[in-house]
Amino acid sequence: MRSVGALLCLEYAATVYAASGEASRPRGVGPECTLKPNANNVEAHIRVLACSRAPFSPLLTNSPPVAKFYKDASTFSCISNPSIILPLSRLNDDYCDCPDGSDEPGTSACSHLSSLSPHTSADHSRTGSNISLALPGFYCKNKGHIPTYVPFTNVNDGICDYTLCCDGSEEWDHVGGVKCEDRCQQIGKEFRKLDEARQKSLGSAGRKRKELVLEAGRLRREVEDRLQSLGAEIEGSEMKVKQLEAELVEVERREKGKVGRGPVQKVGKMGVLVGLAKQRSEELRETLARVREERDASRGRVQELEGVLMTFKEEYNPNFNDEGVKRAVRAWEEYAARDKGPEPDAAHDRDLDAITQSDKDNGLDWAEYESEDGEESEAVVLHSFETFLPLSLRTWLDTNLRTLRTTLIDSGILADTSSTSSSSTSESKAVQAAHSRLDAARQDLANHHKSLASHQEDLASNMGPEDIFRALKGQCIATDSGEYTYEFCFLDKTTQKPKKGGGHTNMGNFVRMETVLVDEDVDEKGRGLGKGDRIAMRFEGGQHCWNGPSRSTLVVLGCAEVGEVWRIMEEEKCVYRMEVGTPAVCDLAGVGGGGGGGRGKEGREGRDEL
Amino acid sequence: MLQLNASSSRWSAFLLLCLVLCSLLTPVVTVKHENFKTCDQSGFCKRNRAYADTALSTSSWSSPYTLEASSVRLDKGLLTGIVTKKAGDENLRLPLTVSFYESGTARVTIDEEKRRKGEIELRHNSKARKERYNEAEQWAIVGGTVLSKGAATTQGAEKGTTRVAYGPASAFQAVIKHSPFGVDFKRNGETQIKLNGEGLLNVEHWRPKIDKPVPEKKEGEEEKREGEDVTEAETSGVTVDDEGTWWEESFGGNTDSKPRGPEAVALDISFPGYQHVYGLAEHTGPLSLKETRGGDGKYTEPYRMYNSDVFEYEMDSPMTLYGSIPFMQAQKKNSTVGVLWLNAAETWVDITRSSSSANPLSFGIGGTTTTNTHWISESGLLDIFVMLGPKPQDVIGAYSELTGYTQLPQQFAIAYHQCRWNYVTDEDVKDVDRKFDKNKIPYDVIWLDIEYTEGKKYFTWDPMTFADPLGMQKQLDEHERKLVAIIDPHIKNEGNYYVVDELKSKDLAVHNKDDNIYEGWCWPGSSYWIDCFNPAARTWWQFLFRYDRFAGSATNTFIWNDMNEPSVFNGPETTMPKDNLHHARWEHRDLHNLNGLTLINATYTALLARSPAEASHPIRPFVLTRSFFAGSQRLGAVWTGDNQAAWPHLEASIPMLLSMGISGFPFAGADVGGFFGNPSKELLTRWYQAGAFYPFFRGHAHIDTRRREPYLAGEPYTGIITQALRLRYALLPAWYTAFHEAHVRGEPIVRPNWYVHPEDEKGFGLDDQFYVGGTGLLAKPVVREGQMESQEVYLADGERYFGYFDFEGYEGPGMVKVSAGLEEIPLLMRGGHVIPRRDRPRRSSGLMRWDPFTLVVVLGKAGDAEGTLYLDDGESFDYEEGAFIHRKFSYGAATSVLISEDLAATGTGGSKKAKEYLKSMEKVRVEKVIVVNAPAAWNGREEVEVSEEGAGKSGAARKVVMEWFAGEGGKAAWAVVRDPGVAIGRGWRVAFA
Repeated sequence: MRSVGALLCLEYAATVYAASGEASRPRGVGPECTLKPNANNVEAHIRVLACSRAPFSPLLTNSPPVAKFYKDASTFSCISNPSIILPLSRLNDDYCDCPDGSDEPGTSACSHLSSLSPHTSADHSRTGSNISLALPGFYCKNKGHIPTYVPFTNVNDGICDYTLCCDGSEEWDHVGGVKCEDRCQQIGKEFRKLDEARQKSLGSAGRKRKELVLEAGRLRREVEDRLQSLGAEIEGSEMKVKQLEAELVEVERREKGKVGRGPVQKVGKMGVLVGLAKQRSEELRETLARVREERDASRGRVQELEGVLMTFKEEYNPNFNDEGVKRAVRAWEEYAARDKGPEPDAAHDRDLDAITQSDKDNGLDWAEYESEDGEESEAVVLHSFETFLPLSLRTWLDTNLRTLRTTLIDSGILADTSSTSSSSTSESKAVQAAHSRLDAARQDLANHHKSLASHQEDLASNMGPEDIFRALKGQCIATDSGEYTYEFCFLDKTTQKPKKGGGHTNMGNFVRMETVLVDEDVDEKGRGLGKGDRIAMRFEGGQHCWNGPSRSTLVVLGCAEVGEVWRIMEEEKCVYRMEVGTPAVCDLAGVGGGGGGGRGKEGREGRDEL
Repeated sequence: MLQLNASSSRWSAFLLLCLVLCSLLTPVVTVKHENFKTCDQSGFCKRNRAYADTALSTSSWSSPYTLEASSVRLDKGLLTGIVTKKAGDENLRLPLTVSFYESGTARVTIDEEKRRKGEIELRHNSKARKERYNEAEQWAIVGGTVLSKGAATTQGAEKGTTRVAYGPASAFQAVIKHSPFGVDFKRNGETQIKLNGEGLLNVEHWRPKIDKPVPEKKEGEEEKREGEDVTEAETSGVTVDDEGTWWEESFGGNTDSKPRGPEAVALDISFPGYQHVYGLAEHTGPLSLKETRGGDGKYTEPYRMYNSDVFEYEMDSPMTLYGSIPFMQAQKKNSTVGVLWLNAAETWVDITRSSSSANPLSFGIGGTTTTNTHWISESGLLDIFVMLGPKPQDVIGAYSELTGYTQLPQQFAIAYHQCRWNYVTDEDVKDVDRKFDKNKIPYDVIWLDIEYTEGKKYFTWDPMTFADPLGMQKQLDEHERKLVAIIDPHIKNEGNYYVVDELKSKDLAVHNKDDNIYEGWCWPGSSYWIDCFNPAARTWWQFLFRYDRFAGSATNTFIWNDMNEPSVFNGPETTMPKDNLHHARWEHRDLHNLNGLTLINATYTALLARSPAEASHPIRPFVLTRSFFAGSQRLGAVWTGDNQAAWPHLEASIPMLLSMGISGFPFAGADVGGFFGNPSKELLTRWYQAGAFYPFFRGHAHIDTRRREPYLAGEPYTGIITQALRLRYALLPAWYTAFHEAHVRGEPIVRPNWYVHPEDEKGFGLDDQFYVGGTGLLAKPVVREGQMESQEVYLADGERYFGYFDFEGYEGPGMVKVSAGLEEIPLLMRGGHVIPRRDRPRRSSGLMRWDPFTLVVVLGKAGDAEGTLYLDDGESFDYEEGAFIHRKFSYGAATSVLISEDLAATGTGGSKKAKEYLKSMEKVRVEKVIVVNAPAAWNGREEVEVSEEGAGKSGAARKVVMEWFAGEGGKAAWAVVRDPGVAIGRGWRVAFA
C-alpha cells in the first residue's frame, strides 16, 4: 500500500509543477534549509528551523507571492493580518500566533484553524469568526521527486506520510522516535517510470479515442446516408402504395362482376354454413392456442412466484418478529401443503396439440365440402344448364346473368362471394394477390417511416462530445465484485449477474447523459476518476427491489486506455454507482483534460489542506 | 385461466400482506408486544403480584416467615439462622445468612434446605440440578466480600429482634425482626431500607405435584394455552397459589416443562423517606423510575429484567431489553442508599410510592414519601446486598467494589467508531477509510457486521467480498486505526465447518431439556450455542481467536459480541427455552441474565491469548456486548441495541446512558443516527452532537438504510458533524480521565444532576443533561426537531457557569437559556474546574499521542479551580505497574498560582515501565493555558512566571507571555498564557501575580 500511496503523491506533486508552470522535473528549491531543532535550544519542545535566509522556506519555489512574507530579516507580519508583527523567534516555534497560521508553516500548531474544528472565544481573540489558514500546508521539498504540500494535521504526528511527503520531512521532530527516511530517490524513480508508462498509456488512449471518434463519425455518416436513401425509398414506396391501391380497386371491380366459375364459389345455405363453420372452427382453434399460451405463461409465473416464496420462507429473518411476514410465511406454508390440483398432464397436452393442428391435419378438409357444395349450388346448376345451350345464347345468357347477379348482389339478395367483406378464403386469387401486394407495400412504407424516425432520433440524441459513444453503443464491459459480475453496456443498460448462477438483474436502462462533479482517488496506474466534472450515464427503471426502489445506476466515466469497470458501489439500497474507465473520455491530445484519470489540474487540489 | 382465477383472491391477499409488510418496515414501527410476556402471562410474576394484592389488602396480614431466635449466630461478621415458612401444617426451613462486609455493605441470603440437600424429585426425568442456583456470585461478584469482624450485636435490642452494628464507625445497624422475619437497615439511627416491611417475602418451596383427578385436562389445556390466557379456570378462585402455572407454562407455542415446579423468590424492599429510585438498567423510561401499579402517567406493568432481543423496542416502557442490572439506588436530600438483588433469573420489580401526611408530633417539615419496591425472581437464591451511602459515590463505590470496576479501555475505544451493517467488501472499508482522511474527519475504528463472514460462519471471511482482510487491516493500521469484527455465540450447524465440528465433538454447546445438544435458529439458520458457563468451552473459545486460527485477524482486530441474550429466532420470547441445560446441569432459567456476561468474559480472555508473543506484553481487549448483567462492566462496552432513526430515540438515549452510568456500567452508547430507518440530516447532525458525549461513541446503520458516513451529509451538516467529532477528540484527555475515575472508583462517566448535586432535590428527576466526569463540563444536547434557538439548562447551584465556546456567563440556581443553533452544542463549564484538552486535529486518537495540551482553567465564584488528568499509553496494562501520568491541577485565588501536582500513589512510579513511560512523555508539554473568568486585575499584565521541577537550570523560573482579554456583554474575561512549555508529566507552577 505504501508504494501505491507514494505514487499517488508523486502524481499530485506533478500537478503542483504544472500549476507553477514549470517543466515536469523538479528543480532547485531555493535557499537550503535544515529541518532540525536548533541545537542550542534549551527547551526541547521549542523548535526553530534554522535556515540561511528565512526561518523556513516553504514557499520560495512555488508561491513567490507568499514567499515574500518570509523574507524580512527582523520581523514577521501575519500574512492575512499584517498588523500583527512577530519577532522571528516566534516563527515555527510550535505555537500558533497568527490568526491565519502563517507563523507556523513548519509545524502543526495552527492545524486547528479550520472551520471543521470547534473554536472558542480564545481562538477568536484576534480573528473574529472567520478562521482559515493562509498556507496550503506544510511544504515538502521532496528532492529527487516533486514538491508538495502536506496537511498541517499530518505534521509530527508520528506517521511517515510518504504518500505526500517522500522525503519524510514532515516528521522532522521524530515524535515517539519515529524516523522517516528520505525515499524520494526511489519513489521519484518509480514515479517517473510509472509516469512514463502512464504517458504512453495516455498517448495510446488518445489514439484509441481518435479511432473511436473516426468510427463514430463513420457510423454517423452511415446513419445520415441511410436517412437520405430512406427519403428516396419512402417516396418510391408511397408511389407504389398508390399504384397498388388503384390496382386493387380495379381488380375488385372486375372480380365482383365475375360469375364464379372458380372452385371457391359458394352460395346457398350449405355454402354459408360451411363457410361459417370453417370460420368458427378457426376462431376456436386460434382462441384455444392463445388460451394455452396464456396458461403456459401463467403456469410459469406461478412457478416463479412459488420459487420466490420458497426463498422468502427460507431467507426471511424471524428475528424481526414481524407479524406481517410471519403471517405471509404461514399462509404460504398452508398454500404449499394444500392439494394443488391436477399436475400438467402430457396426454391432455397432446390432445390439445392435436386439436390445435389445422383441420386438414385432423382429417377435415373444408375444401372437399366446399367443392361438394359447389355442385349443389344454384350457380353450378345454372352453369350445367348453360352447357346445353348454343354458344351465342350462352354468351347472351352469361352477360345477362352477370348483370342480374350484380343487381341481385347489389340489392342484397345474393351473397357477395367475391367482395372483400367476406372472409379472405372466399376472395378470388387475384384480389388476394392484389391485397397482399398492397399490404406489403404499406408495411414497407411504415417500416421506412419508423426507420426514418429512429435514425433521426438517433442523430439528434446526445452521444457525448464528438458523438463518441456512437462508436461504443451497446458495447459492454464487465467486472467481478463479490459474488456478482457487473456489466455496463454503453447507452444501453447495466446488469448484475450472480456468479453462482441464477437470473440476471437489470440495474437500469439508459436514460440520459449527465455531468457529475467527482473527487476520487487515482491509483498509481492512473485508474480513478480524479477530481472535476466527469461525463456520466444515468440508467434507471431496472428491476424493482424488495422493499426498495427500482434499481438504478450512475456510471461515471474516466479516462483509461482500455475499457474497464474500476469500481461498483451500492450507494444506498438498489442505487448503484459504477466508475468506468474508457478511452472515449480522454482528452484528444491524450493528456489530462476533462477526461479524468486525475491528470488534470483539477485532480490535485483536493489534497491540500486549505 | 379459470384455475388461476379461483386462487387469485389468495394471491391478492398475499400481495396485500406484502404491502402491509412494506409499510411495517418503515421507521414508524413499534415493538410486537405479543412476543413478550406481561406479568400476567408470567406465572410466578402473576402469583406474586396476587400475593402482594392479598397481603396489602388484608389488614390482618401476617407474613408466614419467622426467624428461629435460637438458631441465630453471629460470628466474625457472619450471622446465620433458620427462617421457617409456615405452609399449611409444614414448617419449611430456609437457611438465612446475613453477611457484614468491611466495606459497610450488608448481604442477606435465603436458601431452601430441601432443595439444597437435594431432597426433592424432579419431574419429566429431568437431569437438572436440584439446588437453587447459587453461582451468580461467581460471575457477578469479584470483591468487597471481606467480612467485618467489627460487626457486633448490640445490647438492649427489643424483644424478638437482633441488632447488629456494623460499617464505618459502626454507624450502620441491621435490626433483624424475628417474627415475622424482616430487617430494617439504619444509618445513624434512622431507617433507610426495610426488608419485608410489607410482608411480601415469598419463597416458593418445593412440593410434589399432586395430580388432580381431572380427566383429559392436559389435552384441552394445551390448546387453551396456545391462546393468550395461560391461567387455569380454577373453580375456587380464592386460593393465593394459582397452581395453573406451577408445573408447566406455555407462551407463543413454546412449553416450559418446569421440572422443579414453582420456585420463585420475592421480597418487598422499602425506602422510607425516599421519593426517587434509579437503576434497574436497561429500560427506555426516565432515569427516575416510575410507579408500576397503574395510575396517571404510571406504568401498569412491573419493570422486567429478562435479557431479550427486543425488535424495535418502544419508548417509555418497563419492558425488558437486552441487558439487566438488578441494582437500585434511592435518593433523598443528602442521602443515597442502594440495593443489589443478585439473581440472574427472570425478574420483575413493582414500584409504588406512599406518602404520609405531616405528623404534627414529628419534628419534620410536613409529609414524607416512601418508595416501596417488590422484587420477584423466578428461581435461585434470595440474595441482596444493602449499601447505606450516604453519598452517591459511596453507593456506586460499594457496588463497584462488589461487581468490579469498568475496564480501563484503550484510548481508541473512547474515540469515534464508524459502523454499518455492512461494509460490503474489504475495498469498501478501505474506501471509507480514505474518505474520512480526505474529508479531514477523525475516526479510530471501523466495524464489520455479520456479512463479512462466509455464510454467517464466524471465524471465517467471505472469500468473495473479503479476499484480503489483512491488507485491509494494514491500511487501517497505517493511521493507527482498528477493526472490530462481529463474532456471535450461535455456531452454524453445517458440514465442513471446523468450529461447529469441534463444538459438537467436544460437547461444549448448551443442551436442551433432554440433555442433548440444543438446536435453534439464528442468523446462519440452524445453529448451536456455545455454553460459556463451561470452563472447557471458554478454553476452546480462547483457542479460536488465536491469530493462527482466526486467519485474517490482526493485532488491530477487536471483537463485537452481539445476540448474546442469547437471541434465538425461534425460541420463546426470541431466546432459549428456560428448561435448557447449561454446564453443571443448571437450568437456563436460573442463569439467563448472566448468559451475555459469560460470552464477553470468554472473548475478553481470548483476546489476551491471541499469540504467545503478545501474552508477555498484552494489550487491553476491546469487546462490545449487547447483553449484560451486573459485572459486565469489567469486560467491555455496551450499546443500547437496535434503536431507530427517530427523534424520540435520540431523546431516550440520554436517560438510558445516564442509567447505565449510575448502574456501574458507564461505558455505554447508543447507535448514533439510529439503527433502523434513515435519519434526516438535522437528526443525524444533532445525534452526532449528542453522540460526542456518549461514553461509547459509534455511528451505526441497518443494512437497508442509505449510507450516512459523516462526509456524505453535505454542507452545512458535514462541517457541523466534523466539529462535533473534533470536539470529542480535543476533549479525549478529559474523557480518558473520566474513564479512569470509573475504573478506580466506579464513578459514572456521564453523571446525572442528582449524582453531582445530591443536596438539590429539584434536580433529582432531571435526566436530559449531565456532567462529563469530574470536569465540570455540563452538556444538554438538543434532542428535539426544529429546536434551533436555545436550550434551557438547569443549574443546580449558585456557582458560575460559562459557555464552553463563547465564555458567556450564567448563574444559578435555576434554568438558564443557552444558545442552540444547529451548529451549537449547549455545553457549559462549571466554575472551579480545570479541563485538559488537546486541540490539534489528527486523523486518529493514536496520532495525538505526542501532541501538547491546552489547559482550560475555569475560575468559579471563589476564584479557585481544580482538575485532574490521567494519561497512559492508552493500550497496554503497563499502567498497572505505574506507567501513567496522573496530575492534579489547582489554581488558588489566594496565591494566584496554578500548580501541577502528582496524584500517583507513592511508590507506583518506581518501576522500570513507569520510568520508561515518563521518559517517553518528557517532551509532551502544555502549550497553552486559558483562564476563563480571569480577574480584571490581570488587565495590562503581560507575563506570568513559570517554574518547573527537574534538574538544573530548567527548574529556574522564567517569564512567559500572558494576554488578558475583556469579555464583552455577558461574556467572561479570559487570559491566555502563551506556551508555558512545561512538561505534562512534571510538577510545575505558573504564577499569575
